[in-house]
Order: sequence, then C-alpha cells, then structure tokens
Amino acid sequence: MNIDYSQEIPVVEGGLKQAHIEELISKPLDTKPDKKFLIAISISGSLLLIGAICLGLTFYYGIGLWGNNQPVGWGFDIVNFVFWVGIGHAGTLISAILFLLRQRWRTGIARFAEAMTIFAVMCAGIFPAIHTGRPWLDGYLFPYPNQNQLWINFSSPLIWDVFAVSTYFTVSFVFWFVGLIPDFATLRDRTTSKIKKTIYSIFSLGWRHSHRNWQHYEKAYMLLAGFATPLVLSVHTIVSFDFAVSIIPGWHTTIFPPYFVAGAIFSGFAMVVTVLIFVRKIFNLEHIITLNHLERMNKVILATGMMVGYAYATEFFIAWYSGNQFETFVFVNRALGPYAWAYWIMVSCNVLFPQLFWIKKIRRSIPIMLIIVIFVNVGMWFERFVIVVSSLHRDFLPSSWGYYTPTLYDIGILLGSFGLFFTLVILFTKTLPVVSISEVKAVADGAQPSHHGGNH
Amino acid sequence: MLEEKENMPKQESPETKDMHYWRSFEDLYKNPQIVEASHHEFKEGVTDDFNPSELSHISRRKFLALVGASAALAGAGCADYPDKGEIIPYNKKPEEVTLGKPNYYASTSNACAHICGVLVKTREGRPIKVEGNPDHPVNKGKICLKCQAAILNLYDPERLKEPLQKVSGGVFINSTWKKVDEAIISSLDKIGDKEIAIITNRINSPSTLKVLNNFTKKYPTTKIYSYELFNDEVRNSAWQKCYGSGSFPLIKWNEAKVIVALESDFLGSEGNRVENSALYVEGRDVDKIKNFNRLYVVEGNLSLTGMNADHRIRLRPHAQFDFIISLISEVSKKIGKGSSITNSLSLADFSKKYDVPLKKINSLVSDLIKNQGKSIIHSGTTLPEEVHIAVYYLNDLLGNSALYRADSSEILLFPLTKSAEWENLVSKMNSGQVGAVIHFNSNPVFHLADDYGYEKAISKVPTVVSLNEKENESSEFGNFILPINHDFESWGDYKTRTGFYSLQQPVIASLYNSRQKEAILLTWVNGKAESYSEKLYHEYLINRWKDEVYPTLNSALPFDRLWFGALHDGVVNFNESADTIGSFYTAALAALNQSKTEISRYSIVLKNNYSIGDGRFADNGWLQEMPHPVSKITWDNYAAVSFNSAKELNLKNNDLVEIKVGSRKLQIPVFLQPGSADKTFTIELGYGRRKSGIVGTNVGFDASVLQSKTNSLSAYLFVGDISKLEGKHELVTAQEHHMFDNELTKDAALKRKVIREGTVAQYLNNPKFLREDSEIELQTVYPFILYPGVKWGMSIDLNKCLGCGDCVVACTSENNIPIVGKDQVAKGREMHWIRIDRYYSGEVDDPNTSLQPMLCQHCDHAPCENVCPVLATTHSPDGLNQMAYNRCVGTRYCSNNCPYKVRRFNYFNFRDHFRDSYQQNDSFNLIYNPEVTVRSRGVMEKCTFCIQRIMDAREEAIRQNKNLKGSDVKTACQEACPTTAIQFGDINDKESEFQKYRNHELGYYVLEELNIKPNVTYIAKLRNTHPEEA
Amino acid sequence: MKRTNKLFGVAALFNSPNEIIHAAKVIADNGYKNFDINTPYPVHGMDKAMKLKPSKLGYITLAFGLSGAVFAMLFMYWAMSIDYPQVIGGKPFFAFPAFVPVTFEVTVLLATLSTVIGLLTFMFGFPHNKQPLLDTNYMKNVSADKFGAVIYADDPQFNESKVKELFTSLKSHSVELVFEIEKETYPIFQPKFLMLLLAVAVITSGTTYFVLNKLLFMQPFNWMVYQDKITAQEKSDFFSDQYGMRTKVEGTVASGFIPYPYSGQTNPTETLSNPWLPTKKVLMLGQKKFLTFCSPCHGNYADGDSRLRGQFPNPPTLHSARAREFSDGMIYHIITNGQNVMSSYASQVTREERWAIVNYIRVLQRAKNAKDSDIEEIQKGLINASR
Repeated sequence: MNIDYSQEIPVVEGGLKQAHIEELISKPLDTKPDKKFLIAISISGSLLLIGAICLGLTFYYGIGLWGNNQPVGWGFDIVNFVFWVGIGHAGTLISAILFLLRQRWRTGIARFAEAMTIFAVMCAGIFPAIHTGRPWLDGYLFPYPNQNQLWINFSSPLIWDVFAVSTYFTVSFVFWFVGLIPDFATLRDRTTSKIKKTIYSIFSLGWRHSHRNWQHYEKAYMLLAGFATPLVLSVHTIVSFDFAVSIIPGWHTTIFPPYFVAGAIFSGFAMVVTVLIFVRKIFNLEHIITLNHLERMNKVILATGMMVGYAYATEFFIAWYSGNQFETFVFVNRALGPYAWAYWIMVSCNVLFPQLFWIKKIRRSIPIMLIIVIFVNVGMWFERFVIVVSSLHRDFLPSSWGYYTPTLYDIGILLGSFGLFFTLVILFTKTLPVVSISEVKAVADGAQPSHHGGNH
Repeated sequence: MLEEKENMPKQESPETKDMHYWRSFEDLYKNPQIVEASHHEFKEGVTDDFNPSELSHISRRKFLALVGASAALAGAGCADYPDKGEIIPYNKKPEEVTLGKPNYYASTSNACAHICGVLVKTREGRPIKVEGNPDHPVNKGKICLKCQAAILNLYDPERLKEPLQKVSGGVFINSTWKKVDEAIISSLDKIGDKEIAIITNRINSPSTLKVLNNFTKKYPTTKIYSYELFNDEVRNSAWQKCYGSGSFPLIKWNEAKVIVALESDFLGSEGNRVENSALYVEGRDVDKIKNFNRLYVVEGNLSLTGMNADHRIRLRPHAQFDFIISLISEVSKKIGKGSSITNSLSLADFSKKYDVPLKKINSLVSDLIKNQGKSIIHSGTTLPEEVHIAVYYLNDLLGNSALYRADSSEILLFPLTKSAEWENLVSKMNSGQVGAVIHFNSNPVFHLADDYGYEKAISKVPTVVSLNEKENESSEFGNFILPINHDFESWGDYKTRTGFYSLQQPVIASLYNSRQKEAILLTWVNGKAESYSEKLYHEYLINRWKDEVYPTLNSALPFDRLWFGALHDGVVNFNESADTIGSFYTAALAALNQSKTEISRYSIVLKNNYSIGDGRFADNGWLQEMPHPVSKITWDNYAAVSFNSAKELNLKNNDLVEIKVGSRKLQIPVFLQPGSADKTFTIELGYGRRKSGIVGTNVGFDASVLQSKTNSLSAYLFVGDISKLEGKHELVTAQEHHMFDNELTKDAALKRKVIREGTVAQYLNNPKFLREDSEIELQTVYPFILYPGVKWGMSIDLNKCLGCGDCVVACTSENNIPIVGKDQVAKGREMHWIRIDRYYSGEVDDPNTSLQPMLCQHCDHAPCENVCPVLATTHSPDGLNQMAYNRCVGTRYCSNNCPYKVRRFNYFNFRDHFRDSYQQNDSFNLIYNPEVTVRSRGVMEKCTFCIQRIMDAREEAIRQNKNLKGSDVKTACQEACPTTAIQFGDINDKESEFQKYRNHELGYYVLEELNIKPNVTYIAKLRNTHPEEA
Repeated sequence: MKRTNKLFGVAALFNSPNEIIHAAKVIADNGYKNFDINTPYPVHGMDKAMKLKPSKLGYITLAFGLSGAVFAMLFMYWAMSIDYPQVIGGKPFFAFPAFVPVTFEVTVLLATLSTVIGLLTFMFGFPHNKQPLLDTNYMKNVSADKFGAVIYADDPQFNESKVKELFTSLKSHSVELVFEIEKETYPIFQPKFLMLLLAVAVITSGTTYFVLNKLLFMQPFNWMVYQDKITAQEKSDFFSDQYGMRTKVEGTVASGFIPYPYSGQTNPTETLSNPWLPTKKVLMLGQKKFLTFCSPCHGNYADGDSRLRGQFPNPPTLHSARAREFSDGMIYHIITNGQNVMSSYASQVTREERWAIVNYIRVLQRAKNAKDSDIEEIQKGLINASR
C-alpha cells in the first residue's frame, strides 16, 4: 500500500507524444483483422448462434422449454437480466462518477467501460423481453394510447424497470456517443480511405475542434456526468425493487437497493478488468491502460466485495433479529437447504477470494487477478441465482414448495448472452477507438499550457 | 410590401392607366428609385429565400415526412376485419333451448356399481357438465369425480366409430351394422348345443336383465356371467352366515357417535362414498358440537378415511383378526355378556405383540362401551370373512345393530359369478363347447385373474363379440367389435336399492355410428338386422314399464304422465320393504375359534383406487391427473410401504421391487407412505391397462396379476415376499411431503398458522380459543377501498372437508382446464385451479393429517395485482381478483408474489403439448364450457370464483329486476362438494346464512399476518380426540 | 468539395498550448469578434483568453428536466385516477410513492436528451459537414496535434493582409487561406425525387395496412381470438352437418320441460288449468307478448283485423262467443299446439308467457264486452289494475 496519493499517477506512461497516442489508439482500426481477432470473433459468434437457436425454439414451443415452474416462476431469465444489468454499471460509474471526482486516471479506461456498459445493458435488455410468456405482446409494457383505452400499471416494479433500463441505456449511449464525437473528427481527418471518411464524417457531425464548441462541450459532459451518476445508482435500486417490493421472504428486504448497487459495481469492475486485461495485451495499450489502472480497479473490487459480504451478513442478522419465522426459514434454507451449494459458491467467490487483493503483489499480478475477477463474475451470477431461485422455491405454503432445475435451453441462452456481449466488445475494439483520443491527449504530459499550471 | 403587391396590377390594367394614385411624395414626384422599385413585385432581397431552386434540403425532408405520415394514415384508414366464421342457427328451435342458457337433464350414471343420479348440463343440446341430481335418494345432488369426469369419455376421440370385423390376418376393418348383424345372427343360429357366454359387469338395470333373459329364451344355451372387480361378496357371505339371509345393510353413519373403521375406507374408495361422507359429516358440524362423532381408524396404510380419523392405529391387515377378537373378549368382559372366545389375546398382549399404543385401544374400548347402540364397527372389503363375522358379532353385542338402516337395503339383480363357474367356463372354452362369447361392455381379459387362463381360452372360441365404447384388452381377441353408446347417449332404468327406480335418458344423439348395447342384443333376438331402429330399446323400455312396472306402482297418473314425470325427475320412488335383519346366529362364531395370523412375511393388500375405478377410467385424463388424495401421486399406482420396512429392505422412493405371491409376480415402484404399518405393502388395482387408448395405455402397474382364481375375484389380501430390483420408476407427486426429522420443515404448516386446529374439548371450554394466541390488530397505511353492493367471499369448513377432490374435477370441467400430463406435473406445472393441500404433522409412523382446499383467496390487498405491469389482473367492483387473459403477457411476477401459489401459468399450449395434441381433437371442442375462455400459451390463469356463474346470476337478477343475492350463485366446487364444506356468498349481506361461516369464531385466514385481506375463510378443524389422549 | 474564390477565413497553425493561448489573447485584444481557436482537446484557460461568456447550456437542461418531472407525475395521475381508474391491490388510485421511480427516470431522460440535442443542433448547428474549415490541411493538423487559430472573413474589421501579418507576428509556422464551399442546389420537382416520394408512400401505406389488418390477425397474435369452444350458433367441424347446436333426443325430458300432454289433439277432452292470477305484472307481460306474437294476425285488440293486409288469411275475432267460452287451458292449448292455419308458438313463447297471454286475452275480451256492472265494480274498486 505504498502509493503516494498526494499526486496523481500519470495516465500515460513512457512519455508518449500526442501523435503516438493517436497512432497507438487508432492502430486497430487501420490494420486488417489478424488471426487472434478472427479466432476470438468465431468463438463468441458461435456462442451467440447457440443462444439464437435456443431462443428460436423457445419462441416456437413456449418457455415451457425452460426449467421455470410453480413455484419458481423466474429462473435463469431474470437471473441473467439482473446479472447483466449489474455488469452494465461499472462503465457509467467509471466515466461519470470518477469524472466528477476529477479522477484523471479514468480517461484510460472510461471509453471502454462505457462501451461495455452499453453492450451489457443490451444483453440485459433481452431477458425481460423474452422471459414473458407472450413476447410478441411486450409492447403492452409501454404506455401508448390503445383501443382498450388501458394504460399500464405504474406501480409495478416491472414498469419501473422498463423505464429505468431504457433510460439508462439511452443516457449511457448518448454519453458514450458525445464522448466519441471529437475522436470521430480526428479519425475523419487522419484516414485516407474514402468510405471510412464519409462514415466518420457522418458520425463526427462536422466537429472541428473549435474551442467555442469545446467550451459548451465540456459543460455538457459535466451535466451528463452529473445525471448519469444518480441514474446509475437508481437503475440497480429499481432492479432491486423487483424483489424488494414483493412480499416473498428473502426478497422483501429494505437492504436491497444499496446491496444491489454495491454488487453491481463489484461485478461491473470485475468484468471490466477481465476484458481490459486481454485488450491491453492484444492491442499493446499497456502504456495507456497501465497496471496502476488495474490495481486501482482491484482496490474498488476489494472494497465493494466487502460491502457485499457485509450485506450478506446483515441479511442473516435481520432475518434472525426480526423474529419473523418466514424470513428466518428462508435464510437458513439458503445456507443449509437444497440450494446450499449455490449459496456457498456465492459466498466464497464474492467475499473470500477478493480478500486476496489486500496483498499488493496479487493486486498487481495479472494472472492471479484474472482468476479472482473471473471468480467474482461467477460469484455474482450465483448471487442473483440464490436471490431469485432459493427465495422462490420454498416460500409461504409448504404444500407448494418445489425445486428448480435449469434445462439445456436455459444454459444455451445464458451462453448466447455472453456470445452477444463479447461479439459486440470485439467488434467495438476493431471499429472504434477503445480509448478516448482527445481525453488522453488532454492529460498527456505537456498537453496543457505550462504557466497555467496545466492540471489542477 | 403588400400594398405594392396590390399596386402592381393597377399599374398595368388599362382602365386605371390615366388615373394615378400616389402613395408618397417621392412617388408623387416620380422619385426614380421608387418608380424603379414599383416595377418589381418585391423589394430586393425579400424574395431570395423563396427561390424554389435554392430551398434547403431540410424542407424537403419535412415534405417527405409529411407524405410518409399521410400515407401511413391512409393505410390505417382502409382497415378490413378478418372473417369470424359463419353463423348456423336452428332450423326449428326446440322449445327447451334458449340460446346461451343451459338445460339440465336428469339421468343416471353407470360409472361404477353404486348407481347415482346425475343432472347433465347441456348447452344448445351438447352435454358440457355433470352434476348430481338433487331428487335422487342416494346421492342427493352430489356426485363423485368419476361421474363428473365421465363426460370426458363421451367425447373421447378414440371411441369406436364403426363396427369392426376381424379379417384374415387378424386385423380389424370397418364394417357396417347390417353385415356384422347378419354374420353374428347366422353364427348364433348355427350354435346348436354349444354354449353362448355373455360376460358382463354387475347388472344394475332390470330392463337390461330382461333383454338378457329374452336373449336366453331365444338361444337356450346362453349363460350369463357377471363380475365386479370390487365387490362385497365376502362381506355379504359373512353376513349371511351371521344373519341367515340378505346382504350387509346400509349404515346410519349420521347417527353414530363412535365409528371404528377396520381397514375400511368407507369415506374414500369403499361403498358409495358420496352418500357415506354426506351422512358422516352430519356428525362433524361445529355448530352442533354436542353430537360430534369420533372416528377410530385401524388400518395398514394411510387411507382417506385414515386421514380424517381422530385416532388412528396402524396395524397390518393380517393382525386385524387378532385385534377384533381381543377387542370382543375385552368388551364382553367389561359389559359382562357375550360368549368369550378361546385363544384370544388380552389387549395388553396384543398391544405388545404389534406394538400398538395400549392407551389408544383402551380409549377405544371405553368409547365403545360408553356409546352402546350409538357406535358402529365397520370392516373393510379387503378383510377375510372371519373378521367380518367377528365385527358383526361385536356390533350385535354392543347393540349397534340399531344403526343398520331398515328403510332401504342393497339389491343385487343378478348374482355375481363364483370362481368355480368361471373355471368351468374356461375349461368349456378350451374343450370347444363354447360356441360364442359376448363381452357385454366388459373386459374379462384384464379383470379376471391370470391363472384362469381366460386369455388363452378365448382364442379357441369361434365367435367372440365385444360390445365396447372403445377397444380394450378383451376386444382384441374377438372377431367383432361393436361400438356402443356412452351412458349419456343411452336409455335405461336402474335398481340397486329397495324403494326407487333410477332412470337414464340420453342427452345427445349418438356421436358416432354406435348403438345401445341392449338394442344390439334385441336385434339379434329379433333375428333380422333390419329390425333395428333408433327407438328399439327406447320403446322396449317404455313397454316394459307400462306392462311390468306401472301396475306395481299403483299411481293415480296416466302412464305417460308418470313416465315423463319419471324422466323429468330421474327417479321414481315407491313403497318397498327392505329386507329385515334377523337375530345373530352365534353358530357363526365357530369360524372365529382358530387363530390364523401370519407376521413373519409381508402383507400384500390390494385396494380400490380413488379415481379410475376398476380401470374403465384409465383413459380419462382428468382422473389420471387427479392427485391421489393421500400421497398426491398422479399418473401412477405404487406399493405403499412404511419407513421402517423400507429401511430394512433398504428401499427409497421410486425403487422398483418385485412382489411375489406364490408363483405370481409383480414389478412395481415403492412409495414411502407415512403412517403405513410395517411389513405391509398396499397397492391399488385398476392401473396398468395394456390397451386403453393414447392416454391410458401402460399407465401404472397391473396389480391384478397377484390375484388368483383359488381365492376367487374377491380376495385382496395375501402374504408375499419382496425383493428389491435394480432400476427405478419415477413417481410424480403434485405435492411432496417434507422430512419429519428435519427441524426446518417439521410441522411447518402448523408453525406457520397455515393450518390451525384444536380439539372439541378445547372448543367446549373456550369457543374463542383459536383467536386467543394471536390478536395483533393489523394496520394499513392506505384507506380501505369500499365495495358497495355484493362482495363475494367463500368459507371452507375444514371439519367437513375430507379431501376427496370432487371439487378439483368439478372445477376442471367447469373452467376448461387442460390436462398437462405426467412430465409436466413432474415439473410442477399442473393447472388445477383448486387443489387439496395435505400436511403431515407429528411422527412419521403416526402422523396427524391436515387437509386444506387451496384456491385463489381473492385478497382485497392482492399482492399479485400490485406487480402486474400491464394491469392484466385487477380488482372488480364486487371484490373479485380478476384476470384479463387477453392482456396478460406472462411475466409470471404475479405468481411469484402470490403467497398461496394458486396462480397457474400456461408454459405450453398444453392442449397441444399433451400426447401430441390429443386434446385438440374436434370432439373435445364440444366439452368446453362456452362461457369460459380457453386459454392460450403464455397466459396466467387462476380461480375466478366461477365469474361466469356470477354473471349468469346477475343477468337473471336484472331480467327479473331484483337485487342479486349471495345465495343466487353456487360455484362449481361448492356444488360438487359432497359434504357442503364449501360455502359461497355475499360478505356485505349481514342477514345471509353465509355470514355464519364468514364470521365464525373458528374462522381464520391463511397467512393472516401478511395483512393482504384474503376473502376465503377457513373454519379450523376440531379433532374429537378422546379426553385421555388430548 | 468544390470551393469558390470567396474567402472564408484565414487560418494559422501553432505548435504548443502556450503559443495558442497567447495567440488567442492577442487576437481577442485586437478586437476581432469572428475568430476561433481549434485545438485537438480543450485547452485550459482558453475561455479567458478568448473572452468567452460562460455557457448557457445549463438552462436548457434545467427547463426540460423540470418539465419532464412535472409531465411524468401529472400523466401518471391522469392515467391511473382519471382516465381509467382501477383498484390495484387495494391501493388508492393516486399511489404517490409508487410513481416516484418513473418520475425520476423521465426527468433524467428528458434532461439529458435535451442537453445533448440542444448542444449539437441548437448551439453547434450540427450536423454540418459542409463547413469550409473541414477537409483542409489546417483541420488535419488541429485534429492531430497542432493548435490552430482562424479569423473569419465576415469579421467587421477583417482585412486579409492585416490578419496575415498578425499571424506571422505570432510566429505561426503556417498560414492558410480558407475559401467558401460552392452551394449545391436541390430542386424539388426532380423525377428521381418524385419517384422516391411515391415509393415511400407505397411502402409506408403497404406496411401499415399489412401490420394492422393482416399481421395482427396471424398466429400467434390471434391466439384466444379464435376459441376452440363452441358458442351458440357456431359451426362445429365435428358433426357431419356442421351444426354446433344439436336437437334433443326424441322422448327425453329436460328439467322444467315436461312435454305438453295434449299436443297434437285438435279438441282435447281435458285441458290444463290456468296457474296464474292476472296480476298487473302478468298482464303487462301478456300484453307485451300478445303485441309481439299475436297482434300481427289477430290485431292489436284481437278483433281479427290482421295488420298483414290480407297477405295471410285473417283469423276470426277473439271476441266471438265461441272464443269467450274457451277455457283458459283451451286457449293455452291453441297457442301451444296451433289450430287450422295457425302454427304452434311453443318454440317462440315460453310456457309462462303463454299463460300471461291467455290472461291478457281475457282482459281484452272483457274490455270489449263490458257490462254496466263492470263500471260499478270499477267504482267499487273491485277491479283495480294492481290486483
């Protein structure tokens, strides 16, 4: 822990000149896809295909193909939804909150994190849409004037979800796109190919780095960050309402909003680290996405991991303290009942393993951190599984207790969502600058007028 | 600018040339610029942006959007609506029918040996539901689940549609009635001195019997064989030994204060359940707490009756003899009369020998002695003769014969065939002395014990004719299969008891080219195929009545008035004396003087099942899916065994075992049944049909292979050996019971106040005892929504609910609920809107069972409503929690949030998914209740409190412009409940009789503390335990 | 892009942030208004150097954000408690706490979208890819790593030579003249464009029609629209004659419909007796049914004056002695059974209604042949309608 916090770590290491930065970042865009890339895309692509097939069959025969039943009405479908929404939190968090906190080290990873947010939210968005019995009627979930003169139930958490997730997606997308505009301009001006030029021009909207624009631009960015921050907190809060607002023991808990947000950041960062480790290696961005970045993120993981652990503990305490037999039963049942295995996977992956990050060596060792963050991802998926399934499978009436076993289709669709996510990520790395050129330039050494003190 | 515009033409127009208007001094004085300007229409620069050639592309976009929008509107405008199919009215509307209103036809169901009167509900001439006939003296407006489900068989798409004739190569081909009739008549005429065997189930119809007699007259070599898989032969022969003549009398269950059932399931699978339970619950009325009866059950396996017992003693059937004997000697000692019986154990020794708690037996004895003449001991059909004799003796000793009904008694029109005669028949068949066999709607190949060798013998008979609704095991072996009418397509009269006839009339013309079985025989008797006509048997019946019955009734009415009246009511009552009960022959006791108790090996008990009868309903999906009232297993039978015995054989649920009785073997999965006696395997008969259509074939295991001719048809009790086999067979339950030893789950239902119970004693010394413990006033932040006018509510009296499940089938039939099949039940996706929850508490060997019908509670603060995103489930102004199927997108959130888990989701289109869309046959469209939506895939559904019936009642009230009253509506489950445990009515109507139940001091809501204000009141069960036990 | 020879502005490139800051100061101090600084990233302190007023963007955001909040809350209030109020889980129609999340989301959504759209279109006038500065060597440099200043030709005190001097004095390493871009013109009445319009019109209307009238009635959308159950007058493919409605089997008796014993007899020896008292209710019913079913032939007052104008043989009057001597049962019999040309009305008129009609006919008969004694009776109040 001997880092000097009195001064910020340099974002760009090895004294890169601005031209180099630009060079480095836009290299993947200019070069032809290489072997590594093709292998990666084919793997993720085939996963996506599997998912698509399972989904097709589900549409044709009905979601009876899944494991859902009485009493477990929600299975993998909602588990995956919550999982992906959680993943989708790191991005906006990194770019927005760290921006407001003036954490300049964020610039190296912000763009990438935002992109991941968008892709993760896309994956998440699929599940509420397909989990319904009659997906072709999902339109009913939106308040549009219709023949039945019927609106929607604004007091249903699912409707809150609809608004929260769609808003979150729109805002993060806008945020991300606004950030991209100057880079599009840069690309537009440096590319030689005619087609690329037209495309970039369209997206750059005619940006010309004018300071009269920069002035408003920075203001806008500030505002967006300002909105994204409460939004990102609200989204998972609302997702947690899906459960907290119900009356099912194990769901009906006031601790859920903070607990879910912490969990979301936790899993989000873990996923970002997982992917960044590969990206920085493959595109040799070690100078821009530095080990320090990873270490800092690991610290966040450690912190949030402990928050999550604390939440687990609190749940049990309250269950006991409330003296409500249903609550008590559910939690004891979680730890000792038929789904104990899931529970203990969750605890070990989310609370125990991250503790290793107390050790600086591990924080800074790529392979170990990779293993740990993957564990965290698994653990967080199981957290959602435990919450959704183990609460439902034994609720109030002993007569209607049951057991939930996922089918191959459930698993196929889960894989498919990962396929979608990584396909999008890979395509992103190949088509857009994974690091914000202008931002990194702005924070490179000597980028700001000296007498002005530059960074403040 | 404008003025200049106006100015322009004036400048040019000729008539204004001379006159000169001036607008300014510059103008007036011809300021050159102005003049110049006035030649241009517009000032310079003004028109620049109007130059069409320079319009910016944005405006073009606008224009484009405009066109697009208008085009879209145009498209939306020219809407055409798809064709909804044509309308087919009546040519001449029958007087009875009012479109959209049901008609009811009184008839009689022959679904089992206990004939019950039914009311068949028809819509536009199509039967859609079966209800009980209130005028019927036996079942008094109630009907068991078999009769209710019989309607499914009527529309069974696999019914025979044409007569079938076997051609060379042993395949059946469609034929015509004319052909087969002629063929059969000719072969019958050529029969010579060979025997014609008519094999039928128990004959309950005098007219049918007459037809058979006519046939016998025409063909003197005819012999009639009748059988019934479950019958009272043993009981009756015992009776005759004790009382000389007659048959075992009916019992006044309603007057008994103490009932002791030995291995007898008189509330479940034995005797006329509907009647028995109705009488029984008269002694279970909490408002007449003083005459509560006390039920002791001594049995080998937990039965429906056992579940309702106040005291239950688990005892292997083979020990019943010892038990009753020692009981007799104990009692006779106590009351100091009656001949003592040698070699009887003392109760103490008995309880030691079979480790039965002596306390229970003692309280039993004291109860019996205290209630002499007001108690009844009843022995089950499965028990051997001597036990029955002993039981009759004990009843006689205690003067309980007062409880035998003298007003009416059972009648057996034609004696059941003894095993000797069967053997004789088979040997004749083998020796070719039998010329023809007629299966008269019977299935001997499946029902007769294998070692008769009937199956082999039948193939030696030249002419075998099977009269069946659909192909079965026996029909295969014939050369003709003739389609016969279903009960609801048939005429008939029935007589199973003294004092009344029960009439049967068709409610729809034959759906297929089938004929009434009696009419077929009559055609043969007439000797001409042409002599058949639709009315043949109808007229025959009327004539028989005119000539034989009418005179005996000595009624004032002219015959056809009486006849139509009879059809209208479904029954004709008249004076007829029941057979009198003489005095007990003590000679019979000789049979008791030898002990025959086998305890080293295993007892194998064959029982009647609760739903599919002797197997004739095996193809009935509703009944197959009906969970077993005790084990909740569907789509299977099994060998029930106690936990201890399972341990010593190291058996787990679903393990296959081989049961060996003598040389006869049976493979069957075991099920560990709490409360089952050790070393006892109990198996239900009727399953394992080898040929019973798509639904019924190879469901369960045929245990009748264990029966043998030596102990005739009527033996159900054996000793045998068990050996564990490799492999498993998955038994599927609709509700598994949870571990008794696990503190987490033990007695959960009681701990959670889902079930609340007390004892009669408790209630007597404090009627409010139930509410004492938990009186927290539940608050809510929101003001209550008020429901003026009618607000619907239900109350269920758990003292009266015996868990038979008639309500479940009634609901299925009323609300178009699909069959989902074994695989889906295994996944926990059964669709029943109402279910009977069964909870065990206490010890695994001596469990207390609590039953609770569970359906949508229509909570005022329904949790399901809050979470539905699309307003598919909301509250109606009359307090119903209602589902809008068409709005439902199927998020299943409501079901998750329902604490009672009564919501059901269509994970598939089950009609399509079950047995390759078997349920989508056209014929099943006729069975649907037209007032209830048939739900599609992906839609949530649940109990609606029979909203369609409520709406009917409301329309009727409006038509007669009076106010709708709670009592105007009866829900399907309420109507079906044989014990009137279910009450339905208006919560707001303070005068109504329903209030009594609604605000009963024993009333409680399930999961009250959730404060979701359910509208189904449960009236807590009181166990009438013996004071020393309590 | 073709360029005119009209000068748009003069652009100069600088190497370091410090230089550009300085340059900006000088240009501003020289009183130029229409000038701009282009840098690859925002350079701190430039606002001050260029003398720019702080951005007004925040106001847009505020305005839209607030309106979003208000709109959302009001809409939900209207939808849930005015337009279509429904009882949901016993909550009041306006369940405020439950509406908060949506309100928040809508607020954020509108705020952000308005900010961005305001920024890009309203403030920057984007998309604007025909801006003369674009696609110049100057732009290439500034979007890479150089820092540029440009003074536009439309600046009031613009003077080419002066500006060049200024830049050189600022040690700009390259000065570039940027010229206007030629305007392209888009005439509306161009066959190509009209064709496009036509195509758009056809496609949009086509798709709308297909979706609204075809797609929405295809599987799976039509599930539960077409029901397997058979309702009154519906056709059934099960029966060969396709009649969903069946007739009862002859000789059977539905409850409440014991067959009329004398059907078929022309002059029954005995008839049923009238079970109904002529109360007001019954008579009103009788009148209604009489006017519906009987009056077309028998006339409104049973005078046998058919309303059918002889299209059908007129029946005799019901006020004849014979008709008056009929027993109630006999009239009932005639209605049920028919007589001569009159056919049976059994299937149209229920039994109860038939008796009501009989009673009503009695009233008519008596009214038509009233005796003085009746009047006295009325005065005595012996007869009053509400008997």
